[in-house]
Amino acid sequence: MAQVQLVILFTSVALVVIGLYSAIFIDNIIKKIIGISFIEEGVNLFIVAIGYKAGGVVPILMPGMDTSWFASNAAYPLPFGLVLTSIVIGASTLAVMLALVMVLYRRYGTLSTKVMLADTSKREEYDE
Amino acid sequence: MLEIVLSIVIVLSAILALIQKDLLKAAILTGFAGAALALLFQVLLAPDVALTQAIVEGAIVPIFIALAVKKTQRSDG
Amino acid sequence: MNELIPLMVIVPLMAALLISAFSKLNKVTKIFAFVVAICLPLIPLLSNYGLHYFGGYEPILDNVTGMIYHPAITYSFTFLQQIFIGAVGLLTFLVIFIYLTKYKKVSGPYLFLLFLGTAAVTAMMLTDDIFHMFVFFEILALAQVGIVAASSIDYSYEMALKYMVLGSIGSPMMLLGIGFLLALTGSVNVTDIAVAVHNGLVDAASPVFLLSLALIFFGWLYASGMPPFHTIKSGIYSKAEPHGAALLQSFTVISMISIVLIMFRIYASLPIFEVLIVFFSILAMILGVSLALTQTDFRRMIGFLAVGELGFIGLGIGLGTNFSITAGLFQALNEIIITALLFIGFGAIVNATDEVDTRKLGGLLAYHPKVAIMLLIGGLAMAGVPPLSGFQSKLMLVQASLSCGFPEISILAIMVSIATFVVFVKTYYTMFLKPKPNDLDLEGKEVPKAMIFAMGVLLIIVILLGIFPDVVTGGISNFVGGIL
Repeated sequence: MAQVQLVILFTSVALVVIGLYSAIFIDNIIKKIIGISFIEEGVNLFIVAIGYKAGGVVPILMPGMDTSWFASNAAYPLPFGLVLTSIVIGASTLAVMLALVMVLYRRYGTLSTKVMLADTSKREEYDE
Repeated sequence: MLEIVLSIVIVLSAILALIQKDLLKAAILTGFAGAALALLFQVLLAPDVALTQAIVEGAIVPIFIALAVKKTQRSDG
Repeated sequence: MNELIPLMVIVPLMAALLISAFSKLNKVTKIFAFVVAICLPLIPLLSNYGLHYFGGYEPILDNVTGMIYHPAITYSFTFLQQIFIGAVGLLTFLVIFIYLTKYKKVSGPYLFLLFLGTAAVTAMMLTDDIFHMFVFFEILALAQVGIVAASSIDYSYEMALKYMVLGSIGSPMMLLGIGFLLALTGSVNVTDIAVAVHNGLVDAASPVFLLSLALIFFGWLYASGMPPFHTIKSGIYSKAEPHGAALLQSFTVISMISIVLIMFRIYASLPIFEVLIVFFSILAMILGVSLALTQTDFRRMIGFLAVGELGFIGLGIGLGTNFSITAGLFQALNEIIITALLFIGFGAIVNATDEVDTRKLGGLLAYHPKVAIMLLIGGLAMAGVPPLSGFQSKLMLVQASLSCGFPEISILAIMVSIATFVVFVKTYYTMFLKPKPNDLDLEGKEVPKAMIFAMGVLLIIVILLGIFPDVVTGGISNFVGGIL
């Protein structure tokens, strides 16, 4: 069914667009980070959809399966392996960003990006 | 049919998470989107990815965000 | 000994993990870090050229289509990888040596980050697998952010968070580009993708292929700090400790050339690819030098000059002939060494004066003559004065653009070199030759011996490469002949 892949494509595009919007326009840094995690999820969803095969089976060779039938019907497992790595990377970058936010909150007492990040350039007059 | 329902759940909870005033609710809704995405991965014949996604994006990431919110402030603004 | 090829990544990675686990034992950590740091430049020198297949999965010949597939993650080790990994290994050794002698109590996590970054760029340089490169690209971004955040300079956390937020928008874009390539070719091995593109299995004019180029190119711009990311890149250099900045810029240069070589092998048939690279390189050259002119913080100035020098590398690769790519890669090697020399030298001045504003400095020549002379030679090498190494690579670049039929570009390159010279001499004059301001206290402050040692080693390499460029260019030219 091509319908499944179409739905998945729409979902992943929607997630990337929502994420990009929030990463660029929302002022609150925690919401920015949540938005960034949505971008990553959208991309992961897209890559998993590459490996999907309509009407196929899970790419795990069970005992008793015919090998040639399995080879022609199983989904493509390489993208799945990539996404596994990518999910973990996304979680670790998110953790590092949240840790930096927690340190910066102690200094500024606010989560607003305008105060937290852009203001350094005003205090350093040589930064354009 | 299942994939359409799951897609709607993911997109809705993503949008709801970003318009919440309460950041703790936003963290929970992020976990909701992650868990729904894990089910969607199961539909897409990737059970191994689904397991990882359910643990990481469905549980660990919302807990991280909730911890960060607890250490900082709960309301947006 | 081909077994040494994976060790180039494994040794720093394991060292990083062990050091962070046992960082309570100060003395043991110091000795261990020193030993590993000595090993880093030696392993690539001792290793033989060749390929390494992880898991031992050899390439498979498909009997139906007659094509060869690479099922394993492949590391390819040639002369190019040898000199670049050797250079970054040497630099890591010098930086760790400076760090260990500077502080009595060493920080395990900081050493962890330095080794992690080295492992990441080594893997990016070696790998023949585009997703493997992406993974280490992310690890490198984390290590860079950590090195910046670990410094004790004001606003370093803000800069680290900014870099991280931009990076986590840039890297999913790159992953999406890799996803498009995977969807088109069904493989993540660069050799397989390149063969598929050259044999016409992939429609080179299809919008998906162009979109994948655009997305990976965006990730490359972020990794290399080309415009529009030049401000943040020079910002993180100025917010890191000086020896950390010396290592960070080498990470930037190596990640830049390893991504651009992979892109070159896949997309070289598209004319727009070379236009894009040349366009952004020229933009980086002009913006880097003109922004460097306006800086009063000399660390920031070197940061912008380093971005401008990156433009020369991109220019050489964008022109696309054997000679120009050789020139670009030779320029990359020179930039790693010269910029590290400048960062360490200016870092020594920061150490001795606690001042980064050039307007408040002056008359340092009488107090630190060794640093002053070595910095002068380094700056002249960066500006391209004969017979130093920067001159040889820039001369090659100018000749290459002339022989490609772009005299405008060679004139521009010469003008940017002159502007670099002006920026450097202006800063050098205000710092070293101008009379000393009255409120500047210089008595009793010494430059660390380790920094002078590191500068001396780098300076010897600069002069040797300037006098005998053929040692390196011949081997690079052979490598470039292989990928064209």
